[in-house]
Amino acid sequence: MERLRRTMMFVPGNNPAMIKDAGIYGADSIMFDLEDSVSLTEKDTARMLVFEALQNVDYGNSELVVRINGLDTDMGRADIFAMVKAGVEVIRLPKTETPEDVIETEKVIAEAEKFFGIENGRTHMMAAIESAEGVLNAPLIAKASDRLIGIALGAEDYVTMMKTHRYPDGAELSFARNMILHGARAAGIAAFDTVYSDVDNTEGFNHEVEIIHELGFDGKSVINPRQIPLVNAIYAPSEKEIRNAKDVLNAIEEAHKKGSGVISLRGKMVDKPVVARAQRTMALAKASHLVDEEGNLYAE
Amino acid sequence: MEIKHTALAGTLESSDIQFTLSKGTGVEINLDSQVEKQFGKQIKKVITDLLSEYGIENVNVRAVDKGALDCTIKARLIAAIQRATDTQNQPNWEVLG
Amino acid sequence: MDITTLNLKDNYYYQQWQNLVQNEGLVIENLADITETLGIYDGDKLIATGSYFENVLKYLAIDPDYQGGNTFNKIVSTLINELAAQNVFHIFVFTKPKYKKSFEYLGFQIIAETEFSALLETGDYSIGQYIKSLPKVTGQNISAIVMNANPFTLGHRYLVEQASKQSDYVYLFVVNQDASLFTTQERIDLIKQGVADLGNVIVVSGDQYMVSFVTFPAYFIKSRADVAKYQTQLDAKVFKRVASALHINRRFVGNEPYSPTTEIYNRSMKQILPPEISLDILDRKAIDNDIISATKVRKAIQESNLEAVQKYVPETTFKFIKNNLPVLLRRIHNGN
Repeated sequence: MERLRRTMMFVPGNNPAMIKDAGIYGADSIMFDLEDSVSLTEKDTARMLVFEALQNVDYGNSELVVRINGLDTDMGRADIFAMVKAGVEVIRLPKTETPEDVIETEKVIAEAEKFFGIENGRTHMMAAIESAEGVLNAPLIAKASDRLIGIALGAEDYVTMMKTHRYPDGAELSFARNMILHGARAAGIAAFDTVYSDVDNTEGFNHEVEIIHELGFDGKSVINPRQIPLVNAIYAPSEKEIRNAKDVLNAIEEAHKKGSGVISLRGKMVDKPVVARAQRTMALAKASHLVDEEGNLYAE
Repeated sequence: MEIKHTALAGTLESSDIQFTLSKGTGVEINLDSQVEKQFGKQIKKVITDLLSEYGIENVNVRAVDKGALDCTIKARLIAAIQRATDTQNQPNWEVLG
Repeated sequence: MDITTLNLKDNYYYQQWQNLVQNEGLVIENLADITETLGIYDGDKLIATGSYFENVLKYLAIDPDYQGGNTFNKIVSTLINELAAQNVFHIFVFTKPKYKKSFEYLGFQIIAETEFSALLETGDYSIGQYIKSLPKVTGQNISAIVMNANPFTLGHRYLVEQASKQSDYVYLFVVNQDASLFTTQERIDLIKQGVADLGNVIVVSGDQYMVSFVTFPAYFIKSRADVAKYQTQLDAKVFKRVASALHINRRFVGNEPYSPTTEIYNRSMKQILPPEISLDILDRKAIDNDIISATKVRKAIQESNLEAVQKYVPETTFKFIKNNLPVLLRRIHNGN
C-alpha cells in the first residue's frame, strides 16, 4: 500500500532543539534541511547534527527525508555520503532543473551505497522543482529514476523567477502545480505542494490546502508543527467517502470468496483506480482516527 | 590527529552545546553546564571517547552545554574536530561508523 | 525569527536600531567603533540587536517584550559564531553588573567588576592563562609599572630606576596597543634595551588585559560624567587581579600634571589598590624644568628634529629612531 504523505515538515538542520522534537508532532514525513535554512558557515556542523540525529533519535513512523545541497556546491557530495551512511530514507534534491540533475545525484548515491556496503537502491530520492525550466521538465524529471518517490513544488524561488509573488488565490502557481501533479501521476509517484510561510494566517493556509487537496496533491510542505493538524483535517475523508470505500473493499473480499475475477458494486464494475482510491481513503480514515483497525467508523 | 588551530562549533541556544577546541598539552576539558551535577560525567565521557576515537591526545576543550542530547554533543564535537583539523569535507568514515 | 546583518548606514535600519538601543538605556558613542551589527526581527519589528568591534561585543539590546527567553542566547551565540568564522575566538564584553549573570549563563567568565560595570571574557584564552604564562618570582617587595612607552624615554627610565632601587623585583607591563606610532613589538624591544642593565626588572606584555583604560567602551554608562571614573576603576580592578596573583605589593606611576583624566585614574587606583598594593606617584623627570614626555619626542620626530629627540631618550631609543626616521615619518603621514 502506498504511504500517506499529507505533511512534510521542514526542520532546519542546524537547530538541535527542533531536530530533537521533530518526531512528536505526527508529521507523515520529516524533512531535515541542510540547504537554504543553514548559513554557509554552518553547513558542515548541520550535516553532522542531522547525521547523528538520524541514527539516534526516535522519529516513530515518520518518513525521514533530508534536503541536501546541490552537487554544484562544495557540500553536495559530502552531504550525500553522510546521509546514505546514516540510513536516511529519502534524499531530496534542491532546485532540480532537468532529468540529468536526478541522474547525476543518483550516481553519487549509488557510489555512496557501494562505498559503505549498503544494498544498491535502498536510498530513495525526491526532487524539488523551483524554476520555470524545472516545471516544464517535470514529467521527465519524475521518470528520471526508479528511486524517486515524489516531486515537490518549491514556490519561493519560482514566483521570484516568474516575476510575481504569492497570492491568496494561487493563480500564480496554477500552471506549476498542474505540471508537477501530472508529471508525478504519469510516473506513479507522489506530488507535494510548497510551503505556506505566514504561520499565523490559519485562514489563508486552510484555503491553500483546500486548493491542493482538490487538485489531488498527496500533501503539503509545512514549516510549523501547528500546520500539521490543519492539513490532516482537510485530508480526512468524509463519512460518505469512508462508507463508499468500505463498500468497495467489501466487494473485493466478496469477489475473492467467490473466486471471481470481476469485482462489481451496485451493478457497476470496480476498476483498479477505484480500488486504489478506496484503499487510500481507508488509510486516511485510519490516520485521522475516524475508523478502528477493522475499518469500522467510530461513530457506529 | 593534531589540532591545527582553534575552532568553534555549536551554539548557546537551548538543547545545543558550543565547543571551542584549541591546542593544548594532554586532554583538558573545561565543561560549563547547568546539568553538570547529574550529567557532567556522562558528557565528559562522550567527549573523551570521541577524542580518543579520533586519536587526539593534545587539546583544550571548552564546552558550554545548554542541555544537548548525547548525539548533539557528538555532532558538534565532530564538527569542531573537523574544523580544527581542516577536514570539513573529508569526514573520517571509520570513526563516524 | 531570523537573524540578519543590519546596515546602519541605511537610515531606515539605523532608526530602528537607534530606537532599540536607546530604549535599553545605551548611549551611542561612535559608529566607527562597530565592525558589524546583527538584528533579530519579529515580522517587521526589530526585537534584538548586538554588535562587535574587533573582539569586543557591544550594543546588546533586546526589546523588553522578548527578554528572558532564548533571544539573548541567540544573538550572543550568533555574534560568537560570526567572529569564529573570522578566526576570532577570544571575546570580551563590557556590561552593566546586572547583566553579568546572563553572560555567565552563556559560559562567559568574569575578569573584573565594579559598581558600574563588569568585564567578562569567553573563548580559547583567559586571564587565568595569561597569569599562568607570566614568569613568577619571590620576594618581599615586588612592584609593578604599566607603561605604553611610545617610545621609551629618559622619563620612563627614571621611573623604572626608582622602582628598581626600592624593590626586589619590578614587573614592567607593556600596554598592548598597535594604535601607537611605535608598534607593540618595537615598544617592548626599546624598553628591554633601555632597562637591560637593571637585573631585577622583568619586562612582560600586558596582553589584552593591560590595555589603556580609555579604550574601554562606555556606551552603557548613562551618566557621561561617570565614564572616566568607571573606566579607571575597572582598569584598576583588572590590574589588581593580575598583580595579586604575582604577589605584587606596590605600583609606581608617573605624575601627569594638568591632566584631569590622570587625576581621576590616580584617585581610582588609590581607592581600589590598597591595602594589598600601595601606590607611589612620582613626579616626572625634567631636564632644566623641561618635563620629559613621549608626546614631545613624537613631536620632535614629526619635525625631524633629531637633536631634540636625543635630549629626551636613552641612547638605545635614539639609535632606533635615527635609523628608522623615514619609516616613522611615513607612519605619521599615514595618520598614526
